[in-house]
Amino acid sequence: MESEDDIIDDLVSMEDDFYSGDFSDYYDDPNDEDNDYYSDGDDDYGLLEDDEDDQDAGVSRRDQLGYTVLKEADIKQRQEDDISKVSTVLSISRVDATLLLRYYNWSVSKVHDEWFADEEGVRQTVGLLERPVIRVSNARELTCGICFESLPRDNISSAACGHPFCRTCWQGYICTTINDGPGCLSLRCPVPSCNAAVGQGMIDKLATIEEKEKYSRYLLRSYIEDNRKTKWCPAPGCEFAVDFAVGSGNFDVSCICSHSFCWNCTEEAHRPVDCNTVAKWILKNSAESENMNWILANSKPCPKCKRPIEKNQGCMHMTCTPPCKFDFCWLCLGTWSEHGERTGGFYACNRYEAAKQEGVYDEAERRREMAKNSLEKYTHYYERWASNQLSRHKALADLNQMQTVHLEKLSDLQCTPESQLKFITEAWLQQIVECRRVLKWTYAYGYYLPEHEHAKRQFFEYLQGEAESGLERLHQCAEKELNKFILCDGPSKEFDEFRAKLAGLTSVTKNYFENLVRALENGLADVDSQAAAAACSKTTSSKNLGGTSKGRGGRGKGGSKTGGSSRNVDDTSN
Amino acid sequence: MSGGIARGRLAEERKAWRKNHPHGFVAKPETLQDGTVNLMVWHCTIPGKAGTDWEGGYFPLTLHFSEDYPSKPPKCKFPQGFFHPNVYPSGTVCLSILNEDSGWRPAITVKQILVGIQDLLDAPNPADPAQTEGYHLFIQDANEYKRRVRQQAKQYPPLV
Repeated sequence: MESEDDIIDDLVSMEDDFYSGDFSDYYDDPNDEDNDYYSDGDDDYGLLEDDEDDQDAGVSRRDQLGYTVLKEADIKQRQEDDISKVSTVLSISRVDATLLLRYYNWSVSKVHDEWFADEEGVRQTVGLLERPVIRVSNARELTCGICFESLPRDNISSAACGHPFCRTCWQGYICTTINDGPGCLSLRCPVPSCNAAVGQGMIDKLATIEEKEKYSRYLLRSYIEDNRKTKWCPAPGCEFAVDFAVGSGNFDVSCICSHSFCWNCTEEAHRPVDCNTVAKWILKNSAESENMNWILANSKPCPKCKRPIEKNQGCMHMTCTPPCKFDFCWLCLGTWSEHGERTGGFYACNRYEAAKQEGVYDEAERRREMAKNSLEKYTHYYERWASNQLSRHKALADLNQMQTVHLEKLSDLQCTPESQLKFITEAWLQQIVECRRVLKWTYAYGYYLPEHEHAKRQFFEYLQGEAESGLERLHQCAEKELNKFILCDGPSKEFDEFRAKLAGLTSVTKNYFENLVRALENGLADVDSQAAAAACSKTTSSKNLGGTSKGRGGRGKGGSKTGGSSRNVDDTSN
Repeated sequence: MSGGIARGRLAEERKAWRKNHPHGFVAKPETLQDGTVNLMVWHCTIPGKAGTDWEGGYFPLTLHFSEDYPSKPPKCKFPQGFFHPNVYPSGTVCLSILNEDSGWRPAITVKQILVGIQDLLDAPNPADPAQTEGYHLFIQDANEYKRRVRQQAKQYPPLV
């Protein structure tokens, strides 16, 4: 895989992304191959061969990313190529090759393996008959096996098995199955005991234009959906697919429609947080359970009609809303008529205090308190998660505005070619937008980080805080200070200063986030080592030292599974 | 689209059945009160196989064909509450060849359906239960199951 480093991808026309540069070595670390992303590894066949195929097809891949975005034309091309390959190697028709490939989930090498191991068996299973199973009579008329009518020969068609059916009945059969869904791709002869496959040849001959169109859509979809290596981009309306190279470690994928998503769980990109945490968090955000928690924490049910009541002011004497109108005490939930001076007056309730001392209310009270705390905690993380999401969307919009309007204007005003202003889009695209995304997900991470892991929490919050304040400075600088230069009348001397500042902030923020991402991806393992405090101070002090900080970080991690050593650091030091 | 086929095919099925059908079976389209024949509903009888607990029973089965027939299978119903692991409480038979999503093929004939269901009577498919009672007895209490089957066979004597 490493040897393909120099293949440049021209399909994914993106700038170097956030994770590129020497940082990407970290993900290409061969140790990563130990992580078995595909637990059903028994059919890892042909991955290497398929990589060669990609080159044959002229579709190059961006090796650092480990994935390729496919447009519809690319998908068709690959599918055609695979069909041609199988058809040529096995000397069978393209229609039969298509049936075979579909049956074996579009894996060329699996088809080859199975075919050469047991051609007869494969033909039987897939339904590719070599000769008719019934004797074809020479009669001028044949009886259709569906409508039982006798019809002239030229009205009768058959699959490879030879069972005769009339045109109308075939059309009915084909129409029904195509409209029933993708099952039409594995259509068989209408005779129950016959397993002869009905391929695209019959469809082309007998289906209507509309049905043929549907059939080829299903065929195209099958090429992506039944193939283990490809998935559709989940963005609404996006028709691109992503071919993902197994073992590239990092699941984040960026479609050319600009949607970033996790190839593993197809939620939006969420590095460094793992898929399970994200799934839990998303479920939590959408679940009604949070409403329940609020009700539990902030209300008590009316003792009579059981409707939840929120006490927002006043004394302990409650009157439920009509029609119930029950008078009761908020504290002990007893009827109000038994209350008065002798139970402690209107603002306290001796019965409650006494019962509480005996422990009667403890359980309910404790639950309510817990629910309240947990709700507050959730709100804390959710607000920050959501506001970073909002910031990111704003940043994307700003970036767009920048690229379409401001950059040109700025270039004129400051007499600087646009190519020299790349540092601005870099700051926006790679740092602000990406970091907002990372930061957002760290709040989901923080929510699930166990309370009792004090050291980890402390370390996490420290890294998160550093990253966040760095990002805020950068965002502020890119947003506010840049405006001055767009609004002024001519070249400004301070522009060079600004350039240096923004570029500096960009690189500092990058370092902060790299530390954060790395720490979360290895589960804050640094904390476990004896030198927790030392590691903490080390990362702080080395932040601005560029390359050397990586070496130290790497040593700190020692034998951790992700491996921290980059290529420019002597590996033997580990 | 295939609306035209259903009746033609059923007329042919009827002809073929009259010419030749397995012993003990009955299959004929419903006759309405005004004397006209409704080809879309067939009243059938399936005899229990000799040598099994089902022997002696002549079980009434109704086939309901849709306009999509033979692209779609007919719905086959025993009387409500029929005792068999693969018969729904409504009486509808659960059988792979009658499932439009998997086993059904348009060339399956009425005869094949009826013989298929006769086979199913004494060879239930425990992987695909359709009712609780029949399934549980079949799995847990073979003697009681056999008793219930024989009792049911007596409930459906031959129509002389």
